[in-house]
Amino acid sequence: MIRRGLGIIAARAIATAAVRAAAAVLTLAVAAALTPATLVAAGALAVASRWTWEPRRLFVAAAWCAPMVMVWLAATAVGPAGWLGAATAPYHAWLAFWHLVGSGAYLRAAARVAPAAIPLGLAGAGLGWSYRTRTVGAGAGGRSPASSVALDQRQWRNQVRAAKARIAAPGSVPLTMRGDLIAAGAVIRTVGHRAGPLAAIGYERMRSHQVVIGTTGTGKTTLLLRLWAAYLATGLRRQAAGRGAAPLIVVLDCKGGASARRVADRYRRLMREAGARSVAVWPDEASLSLWSLPPRKLTTTLVDLIEHGTGSAAYYADVMEALVALAVEAPCGPPTSAADLLARLEPGWLALAYAASGTAADQAMIRSASRQLGDVALRFRTLFRRLGDGLDGPGSFGDADAWYCILEGTDQVPVAEGQARALVDLLASFAVSCGGEREILLAVDEFSAVSRRLPIFTLYERARSLGLSVQVSAQSWQGLAATQDERYRIAAAAEGGIWLLRTPHPEPVAGLAGTRKAIETTRALGRLGWSRRGSSRLHDEPIVDLGLIRRLDTGQVAYIHGGGVTYVQIKRPVAAPAAVRGPVVAALGAVEPLAGAVPAVFVPLPVPAVPSAVPGMARPPDISPVLDAAFGPEAP
Amino acid sequence: MIPADATPDARPAARLDQAAGLVFVGEMYGVQVDLLALVLSTSQRRASAVAGRWCDAGSAQAAILGPGPRWVWLTKAGLATSGLPYAPAVPGLSRLAHLRAVTAVRLALAAAPQFAAGGGHWRSERRIRSRIGGRIGLREHVPDAEVHWPDGTTLAWAGECWAIEAELTPKTVARTAGIMRELLARTGDYGCRPADVLVPGAPPRHARAVYVCSAAARPVLMKARALLGDLGARVEIRALPGAALLPAPGRRAGPADLP
Repeated sequence: MIRRGLGIIAARAIATAAVRAAAAVLTLAVAAALTPATLVAAGALAVASRWTWEPRRLFVAAAWCAPMVMVWLAATAVGPAGWLGAATAPYHAWLAFWHLVGSGAYLRAAARVAPAAIPLGLAGAGLGWSYRTRTVGAGAGGRSPASSVALDQRQWRNQVRAAKARIAAPGSVPLTMRGDLIAAGAVIRTVGHRAGPLAAIGYERMRSHQVVIGTTGTGKTTLLLRLWAAYLATGLRRQAAGRGAAPLIVVLDCKGGASARRVADRYRRLMREAGARSVAVWPDEASLSLWSLPPRKLTTTLVDLIEHGTGSAAYYADVMEALVALAVEAPCGPPTSAADLLARLEPGWLALAYAASGTAADQAMIRSASRQLGDVALRFRTLFRRLGDGLDGPGSFGDADAWYCILEGTDQVPVAEGQARALVDLLASFAVSCGGEREILLAVDEFSAVSRRLPIFTLYERARSLGLSVQVSAQSWQGLAATQDERYRIAAAAEGGIWLLRTPHPEPVAGLAGTRKAIETTRALGRLGWSRRGSSRLHDEPIVDLGLIRRLDTGQVAYIHGGGVTYVQIKRPVAAPAAVRGPVVAALGAVEPLAGAVPAVFVPLPVPAVPSAVPGMARPPDISPVLDAAFGPEAP
Repeated sequence: MIPADATPDARPAARLDQAAGLVFVGEMYGVQVDLLALVLSTSQRRASAVAGRWCDAGSAQAAILGPGPRWVWLTKAGLATSGLPYAPAVPGLSRLAHLRAVTAVRLALAAAPQFAAGGGHWRSERRIRSRIGGRIGLREHVPDAEVHWPDGTTLAWAGECWAIEAELTPKTVARTAGIMRELLARTGDYGCRPADVLVPGAPPRHARAVYVCSAAARPVLMKARALLGDLGARVEIRALPGAALLPAPGRRAGPADLP
C-alpha cells in the first residue's frame, strides 16, 4: 500500500517535471523561432529594468512604430506581390531573415526584419515588464518581499532624475498652457491621477480654495510664486479672450522682516513679467484706506481690531462698540482718517454732531458713556500707532493687479493680527463692491502668525459668492489654525487641492486623500530563502505615501486632489533682473545702491505715475508749425 | 503691353503710386474711394478704376459698407503682395467712422510740408497691433498711430515719437485723462516685455500725444488735459479735417476737402 502511494507521488512529480520541461522547451523554441523580436524584447527589458521605466513607455514606443509598419506594408502592397504579399510580409521577412543570417549578411537580415520585429519586441517587453513590476509591487515577485521596496526606491530615483531633466531647459515649462492650465513643474509620479510629462492644474482649481503646507527650505515660496504668476498670466489671457474678469492677487506675507522684502522683490518682477500693469507692496510703497469701508462694516472692523477680554470685560466691549458706532455713523458722515476718528471720540464732538439730528437714545448714550470715551480714544490711539499709516489711505485694492502686503508677524504678532484682520475686511468689502469684475486670489503666507485672530474659514465659506478664492500656506498642519476642528475645516474646504511639501507630520493631510485598494502578499520562508508559496489579499493602503512625503527633497511637492496625488518637481520661475538704479541717483551719492534694490514701480491704474520733469522733456519744442499746417491752428 | 503713346517713365511711376496706395490701404484696414483718390493724387473716378483693377487682380475687395463712397480693403493675396503681415479682415461697421477719421488725419499730416521735410513716418495701429500679436497683458491702450521723426533733420522735434489719437465721440474726462497719462508715461515699444512697459527713470516713448478731435469731443479733451497739470504741455489738441467725417446718409459724397 505504501509502495503504491509512493509510486503515485513519484509519478506525479515526474509528470509535473516533464510538463515544466516541455513548457520551458516550447518557450525556448518560440523565443528562438522569433529571434529578431526576442532580441528587441530582451534589449527593451534590460533598458526598462535599468532605468525603471513605466511599462506604458514601452507600449507607447511600440505604438510609435505603427507609421513605419504602415509604410512597409504599403510599399509591399504597391509592389508586384500586391495585397496578399502585404498580408504575408511578416512571414516572408522572417524567412528572409534566416536566409540572410545563413549567408552571413547580418545587417541586411536585421534591416529586412526590423519593421516587424521592433514593434513586436517592444510590445512583448511591455507585457513582460508590466507583469514583472506588478508582481514585485504586490510582493509576489522578486527574490524576497523587500524587492518591492528596492524597486520602488529605484523607480523614484529615476523618476526624479527624468523630471529634473524635463524642467532643466529654459522655457521647458511655461507658466500657462493651452486650455487655461497652470503649469507647476514636471511630474515625478502619479497615483490616481493621469500621468503626463508636465504637472498642470486647471485655472478653476486656482479659483477654488487651496492649502499649501511645507516647512522652511522645502521650496514653498518658489511654488507659491510660480502659482501666483501663472494665475495672473492665465487670468489675463482669459480676460483678453473675453472668458473672464481681470485677475487680482493679494498676498499677505505674515512673516515680515527682510526676507519678506526679498520675496516681495521677486514677486514684483515675476508679476510684471506675467503681465501685471501695476504691483503694489504694502505698506512700504503703497497704502490702503480703511476708511473706505461702509460705515457699519467700519464699526465692526474697528472694534474687532482691538482685543477684548471675556466675562465682565464684555461689558466694556459693548460700550466701546456703541461709542465707535456713534462716532463712525454720525450724521455728518464716516471719518476719513485715524485722526478724524480720534477727534470724534470726544464728548463735545459727539454731543455737537448729534445735537441737531440725533435721537433721544443717541443723546442718552453719549451722556452715559462719556466717562469711557477717554479710555476708548486711548485704546484706538495705541492701535493706530501700532498699525502705522498703511491703512490710513489713500488707495484701494483696485489700484493694482497684484498686491504684496508685508505683515510683521514674527516681530510684532498683535500688530500683524490686526493688520491681517483689517486687510481681509477691506478685501471682502472690495470684492462685494466690484461685483465680480475681478477674479480675486487671496494668498495668506505663513498663516500661523495671524491664525489666532483671523478666522479665515469664515471667509472660506462665503468667498465663493464674493468671487474670491483663498490660498492658505503654513509650515505645518498645526500652523493652519488654533484648533484641530478649524484645521480640518480649512483643509476639507480646499477644493482646489492641497500642496504638501516635506513636513514631519503629514498624517492628517494624507488622511484626507483617502485610500486605494492594493494587493498584499505573504510569502513563506524556506531553507533556501523565500519560497513562492503564500497568499495574497486585498487591503486599503493610503494614497499618499507618508514616508515619501517625509523624504521629499527641496523643490518637490505632492499635489493632493480628488482622491489622487501627483508628485511634482517644481520649475523655479525666473523673473527679469532687478532694475538698476538710475545714474542720477548713483552720481549724487544720496542713496547707496543696494544689491537687488527695489525700484518703486507701484502705479495706481487710474492715475499712472508719470515723471513730471523728464530730462530734456521739461520744455518740449513747439510743434505747432506742422500741426497748424496739417489741421489748422488750435481753437482757443 | 505698354501702349505706344505712353512715355517710357509714366507707366512705371503710375504703378509705383498704385503700389504705394495698395500698401496704404493695407495699413489703414480699409479706405474709402474718395480718400483713396487723395492718396493716389487723382480723381475719384480714376481711383475707383484703380480699385476695380485691384479687385480684378484679387488683391482687394470693394463694397459700400456705410454712408459715402465704396470702401476698399486688401484680401489675403493683396496683403501678401504688399508684404504686410496682417490677417485679412473686412472693415468693421462699428469702426468705419473711426477708420475714416484716422485716414483723414494721416493724409492731412502727410500733406504738411514739414512732414516730408522731416522724413516723418506713420506707424499705423494695424502695424502696432500686429507687433503685439496675441500676447498676454493686452489691456494697454493702443494709439491710433505713431508718428516717428528721424534724427538728423533741422526740425525742432527731430527724434521724437508722437502718439496720434483721432477722437470722434467724447469719453469721460477721467478715462481720457487716464489714456493721456498712459500714453505719456509709457517707456517701452508695443509688444515689448511687460517689465519694460513702464520703467521708472527711462525716457518716455511718446514725446507728445496729438489729439485730433471732433467738436463734440473737444471739451472733454480740454478738461482732461487740464487735469494733467505740467504734463498737459505734451498734449496737443486740434480739430479734425472736414474729410474725416462720414457723409450723412443720403448725401452724395463730394470731393474730400483737406487743408
